Amino acid sequence: MSKIRPLTKNASSGEGSSRREGSDFHTVRQTPPATRPAASWREILPILPPVLKEIILRLPSGALENIEEIRLRQGKPLLVGLPGEDRLVAPGGALVENPDRAYLVTADDLQRTVQLVSGCSLYAFEEELKNGYITLPGGHRVGLAGKAVLEKGRVKTLKYIAGLNIRISRAVQGIAAPVLPLLLDRPAQSVYHTLIFSPPRCGKTTLLRDLVRQISNGAPGLGFPGLTVGLVDERSEVAGCYRGVPQHDVGIRTDVLDGCPKAEGMIMLLRAMAPQVIATDEIGSRADVAALEEVFNAGVKIIVTVHGSSLAELASRPSLNYLFSLKVIERYVLLGRSRGIGTVEEITDGKTMKPLRKDGRD
Amino acid sequence: MLKVIGSLVIIFGCGLLGMLVARSYSLRPADLRSLQTALQMLETEINYAATPLAEALSSLAARSDKRVRPLFEYVLAELQGAPGCTAHEAWERALKRFYPQTALLKSDLVILSNLGKVLGASDRQDQTRHLRLAVAQTGAEMARAQNEAARQVKLWNYLGFLGGLVIVLLLY
Repeated sequence: MSKIRPLTKNASSGEGSSRREGSDFHTVRQTPPATRPAASWREILPILPPVLKEIILRLPSGALENIEEIRLRQGKPLLVGLPGEDRLVAPGGALVENPDRAYLVTADDLQRTVQLVSGCSLYAFEEELKNGYITLPGGHRVGLAGKAVLEKGRVKTLKYIAGLNIRISRAVQGIAAPVLPLLLDRPAQSVYHTLIFSPPRCGKTTLLRDLVRQISNGAPGLGFPGLTVGLVDERSEVAGCYRGVPQHDVGIRTDVLDGCPKAEGMIMLLRAMAPQVIATDEIGSRADVAALEEVFNAGVKIIVTVHGSSLAELASRPSLNYLFSLKVIERYVLLGRSRGIGTVEEITDGKTMKPLRKDGRD
Repeated sequence: MLKVIGSLVIIFGCGLLGMLVARSYSLRPADLRSLQTALQMLETEINYAATPLAEALSSLAARSDKRVRPLFEYVLAELQGAPGCTAHEAWERALKRFYPQTALLKSDLVILSNLGKVLGASDRQDQTRHLRLAVAQTGAEMARAQNEAARQVKLWNYLGFLGGLVIVLLLY
């Protein structure tokens, strides 16, 4: 393998090229290289009111396949998020530049969407409103913005919901295949302590999800048996749980604590589920790092993600600086979007601090 | 002889008409009472159990009095039948079908339709508030209806027969 390829959304092409390179990666995956069915956007249609559904269905098919989010803001143009850009949508479904020609989202559209998202039972989603988002079947998420109602200084609920962000979740199975061999500690039949970092929207969560899946399922091609993984999914993004059941495939040996604060959740898993690996998304606070230390002490491996564009930037944050000073992280994986979302830019060895592989070289 | 038979027919006909009107007055308090009970059940479902609306409606349709049962069955059918329809729309359409089958007045309909506007669209506290309001309003309507029924039932029972008698006397 001469270089690490961009981890494109289209896993089937990724599969093909790794075979051509003659590496052992093609044996990593026993399951077919299926991404989620391309029509995962269809799963959100039931929550769109008829007017918006019409418009979305008339989007050019290329846009429809790649749609990442739909943004509704009261009185503002309808926006769809496509990879790397967002576009305004005209009432006829065409993508336009001019805001004057775009469809303006009405208060009614928003209300209807909220009703449909909640199954006409907004009162049953108090906890979700407090957190600001609702997870749908299929692992998609609807973010909500409006007026916060406070009680004793804490957010009690939201009312006058005036902004919605419908995020279409796509689990890209197989995206972790190229990096997995570098993160496995094969003699010990274990994984390295891994920290994945990148600027926002570069595919950290997607990579983490697939890593968890593959580590949990095991990779016979690499002679790697599955490990018990504990996943703390504070924001329901990794496993996309709906009523506690993961909507994304996170592997057969994975226990998910959904909606649980990370620091607390890691300790809970450590005590209760005897995991061999603990994975969590977007660590950063001191409490998180303190919990991670406990995990290290218990001899459990960690896989975590962090926001940040360089190791230096991460080290400038006191809590992470402390984490680095412990010298336990064995692999730093930097993601970027230089060649599409999920490009693995660099993997650094935590002991030598030398890049194991750098994108485009090596 | 024919005259006597005709007179009797008129008297009993008018009497029956009077009783029918009287009955319609006594039906309304009964309807309101079952409605009130059902709304209280809905409040319990929403406030204490935070049951999703569809589930709450189907349990109401199973448990409530048969006079008001159709309302919840209709709402449920509307909700499940038309994708993309809101609880308010389903409720309104169901009310339109339900209303003619009842002895309810327009003023009772207004209470229900006001409730429909917020049904499922706000937090628990707000839902509870609106449901309690609707329960209180149906309670007030029920008290009024009972008073009225007590008077009107007597009145119409007599009025029918007496009206028949008057007509007979005038014709004789």
